[in-house]
Amino acid sequence: MQNVVERVLNLLIYLLESSVPVTSNDVRNTVHGYADQTDEAFHRMFERDKQVLRRLGVPLKLEALDVWEIDEGYTVDPDEYAIPDPGLSKEERVALSVAARMVRLGGSEAGVGAIIKLGGIERDTGIEPLAADLGQGAETLGELFGAISERRKVELTYRGQHRPVEPYGIAHRRGHWYLVGNTPDGERMYRVDRIENLAVGEEPNGFVKPRGFDIRAAVDAQPWETGLDPEVEATVRFDADVAWWAARSLGVSEPTGELIAPVKVANRDAFIGWLLSFGTSAEVIAPDELRDAIADRVREALAQLS
Amino acid sequence: MTSQRTVTRISRILALIPYVLDRETVDVDEIMERFGYTREQLTKDLDTIFVCGLPGYGPGDLMEAYMDEDEVVIDAADFFAKAPRLTPAEALGLLAAGMTVIGSGEASPALERAVRKLSRVVMPDADTTLAVDVIDESKHVGTLREAAAGRRVVRIVYRSVAKEETTERDIEPWSVFASLGRWYVIGHCRLVDGQRTFRVDRIKELEVRAETFERPDEVPEPGVGYSPGEGDIACVIDLEPVARWVLEYYPVDVVEESAQRTRIRFHSPDTEVPARLLLRLGRDARLITGPEVAARVTAIGQRLLATYQ
Repeated sequence: MQNVVERVLNLLIYLLESSVPVTSNDVRNTVHGYADQTDEAFHRMFERDKQVLRRLGVPLKLEALDVWEIDEGYTVDPDEYAIPDPGLSKEERVALSVAARMVRLGGSEAGVGAIIKLGGIERDTGIEPLAADLGQGAETLGELFGAISERRKVELTYRGQHRPVEPYGIAHRRGHWYLVGNTPDGERMYRVDRIENLAVGEEPNGFVKPRGFDIRAAVDAQPWETGLDPEVEATVRFDADVAWWAARSLGVSEPTGELIAPVKVANRDAFIGWLLSFGTSAEVIAPDELRDAIADRVREALAQLS
Repeated sequence: MTSQRTVTRISRILALIPYVLDRETVDVDEIMERFGYTREQLTKDLDTIFVCGLPGYGPGDLMEAYMDEDEVVIDAADFFAKAPRLTPAEALGLLAAGMTVIGSGEASPALERAVRKLSRVVMPDADTTLAVDVIDESKHVGTLREAAAGRRVVRIVYRSVAKEETTERDIEPWSVFASLGRWYVIGHCRLVDGQRTFRVDRIKELEVRAETFERPDEVPEPGVGYSPGEGDIACVIDLEPVARWVLEYYPVDVVEESAQRTRIRFHSPDTEVPARLLLRLGRDARLITGPEVAARVTAIGQRLLATYQ
């Protein structure tokens, strides 16, 4: 580890200070730590170190050294390297530091890596009795966020299907991260933890995001409201002791007694799951086909017991 | 691939150098707190900086870095006058953290300003491309958080998740947290005289009492992980592949796993939760052991069929 740290620091200094692009041979002959290696060992080492630079956020670029593009060299533009100053006041830095430590993403504190780069953690005022966990998937999320900010197209596999997607935005809703983007079939939403084989396109500004796009509008529906099932409006009666709680999920005002409410259903499975979470305290009044679907589901479950 | 630990270490060095260069004097203790260093780690990183520099690597080419009594000194490192820009993952992490706190309805104006300023430099249209809401539909999170901070007893009317019953109880709230998109409060429940975790959206009414409580020195890490207690129900269930999402939503142990099915052990304080789960899964799950749960599925199932037939 020690050798890697020294070598990468030396490599980065060399790249930042060089006014012309440098070839891999230049690196090998100049930067401390690369000499005395076989060709193969050097190339492996250099590939790994370039990878480290990218993971650090260093904008490493490859440029042609001559008009025939035979030789290529690496550059790091110092202006592009430097973190832009967001101009935070002391009070704002403290607020961000506290938030960064309250929220967990992918098993670790979500914002601490960024806070360190922005000048370190500000001392806070003690134990904060509030914390939030945003679940898993930090690596894919980071790649998607990069693609969204640079308008790069992506390709991915979802439920076994290969999909090209123009990524418009990501959102955390009800415990999961979702990607919303444009596909050949129109705008679609994908659960990020189910995305496989994500590949980010080479070209920045590879698509145009519609002017009025708003991620909130795209994901704000309840899970039973968005799906591929033909949309129906169900009428549901909730007993008085659960009515207040159902009203919160449906976004209607809390009733004093029982609640009879219309519910838009486009994902039957999610709807039945939600409804059965009320046990026998909720009943679908109409339509009959949904009542039958619930009865069928219950019969299936009972049949599994024998 | 080079380990994340190494990358994190280099990242911290590249943030430390500009911080020290920017200031006349920098206190060792301040650096340790600000960058999360132990004295040993800081000494090691300063030693590393000291042996790196410009090609040639002679005395005039290397950076200077050392501790002088209680001060950190770094010099001859102008090429590292600024930290590297944020990676997309880092920018997302910090924006998401800020937005989560704002979404709880508990943010200070300073945090809202900070997130706006940060967005401007990392993702100008962040407000329409990134949304992080752990929505508090009940509007109780703020009150509970204040009560936890002020050590005040709270009286709640609570609809139990496990049982179909509503109870009034006094709780001593220790902390409020969000997991899997829902808010919870963890604390001591005086009704059962034990530690309990409550879903905030199931709190119907809430009243902060004048009475205060002693917070235990060791408060459990916030989390909805369920630790089985005496008198718990344990049942074994086989899941079809389409029902594997259950693993993400419930604290279960995986007993066996194959492409055809996943066998899980489900612990809960009573039969209600596994019974409702089995009802909603229909033919995608099968109860293997757990006669009490089977009886509960039958009872609820019969009542539902009577309603729907």
